[in-house]
Amino acid sequence: MPLRSTDTGWGALVRAFHWAIALLIVLQAVLGLTMVQLGVTPEKVRVFALHKSIGLGILALVLLRIAWRLSERRPADPAGTPRWQRRAAHLAQLALYVLMVAIPLSGWWFNSAANAPLTWFGMLQVPSLTGGYDPLWKPRALLVHQSLFWLLVAVLSVHVGAALWHHFKQRDDVLRRMLSGKSRGGGG
Amino acid sequence: MKAWIASFAVCALALVAAPALARAWQVDSAHSTLTFTNTYQAVAYTGQFRTFTASIDYDPADLAKAKFDVSVDITSLDTQNSERDSTALGADFFDAAKFPKARFVTTAFRQAANGDVTAAGVLTLRGVSKPVVLTVEFVPHGDAATLDVTAHVKRLDFGIGSGQWSDPAMIGADVAVHGHLTLDAMQH
Repeated sequence: MPLRSTDTGWGALVRAFHWAIALLIVLQAVLGLTMVQLGVTPEKVRVFALHKSIGLGILALVLLRIAWRLSERRPADPAGTPRWQRRAAHLAQLALYVLMVAIPLSGWWFNSAANAPLTWFGMLQVPSLTGGYDPLWKPRALLVHQSLFWLLVAVLSVHVGAALWHHFKQRDDVLRRMLSGKSRGGGG
Repeated sequence: MKAWIASFAVCALALVAAPALARAWQVDSAHSTLTFTNTYQAVAYTGQFRTFTASIDYDPADLAKAKFDVSVDITSLDTQNSERDSTALGADFFDAAKFPKARFVTTAFRQAANGDVTAAGVLTLRGVSKPVVLTVEFVPHGDAATLDVTAHVKRLDFGIGSGQWSDPAMIGADVAVHGHLTLDAMQH
């Protein structure tokens, strides 16, 4: 299992980034959607703190992932894929990278404008982006954070739907090579 | 001659009477603050009570007659975070609906050998009265003065955030309160 990607499969590091971040995004979405409905208790404060820490973790992982990805080739698209499908797939992937950076940043921005404390799992104090309470931008930052999340849900539906379609309908290696790094036809 | 005697009598009376009265000061509200620092999720924050009144009788040469009587409008709390403020005013914390005012009245002033002045007094907060000691720094300049007082208040002594909120890792147990008062001499 090579660390780097090849023409026929994704490298181990790309796959680790992909699935770790995917898992964290699902966890983060569940936390985010449930925490806002909690009553004001210390439990709520802890769940918010966890959501913030995971969000900062995702941001750091995504930045590392982008740096690594820029140094790599990408496996070739399956032969015979129509041009519009390649375009759409790559555009969706680019949008996911943008959103995976923008959503944590907008959360950090909202938290800063709300003047709420921010630490990474209580170990590292994270500075404010607004230099203190900013009641004017606070509701806008929240709206941006929430809107980008629902945009992420939409783009992810396309991304996941397309992966499943490739796997079960087209019966090609698009999903397999992200799971195991190998194409059925060997190589990779 | 009569006028001369009369003015002499007034002056003499003033000389005798003046030391008997502690000097009364008027608080310049626009240039006075009542702030506090505490920690929330182990991150320091500062808050203030924007509205308070203080009756200040103070002459550094005659501490026996000194007296502070401070009344604080609890609902004027501002920690630069609207969620935190509304939670803090709720029943679990200040319970401002039931206890809208706090009051601090001095009982005795003491001067240490090194000149440092402290004022013992009683703080009534959230319906609980407890002794609290202030450090007093008084700097006169002519008909004006600045008065800086600092106290450490244990929030749980007054039932602020007891029960589920008592964990000091969530909200610091010790609150440093600082009053900075700009004073103008009152005309007798």
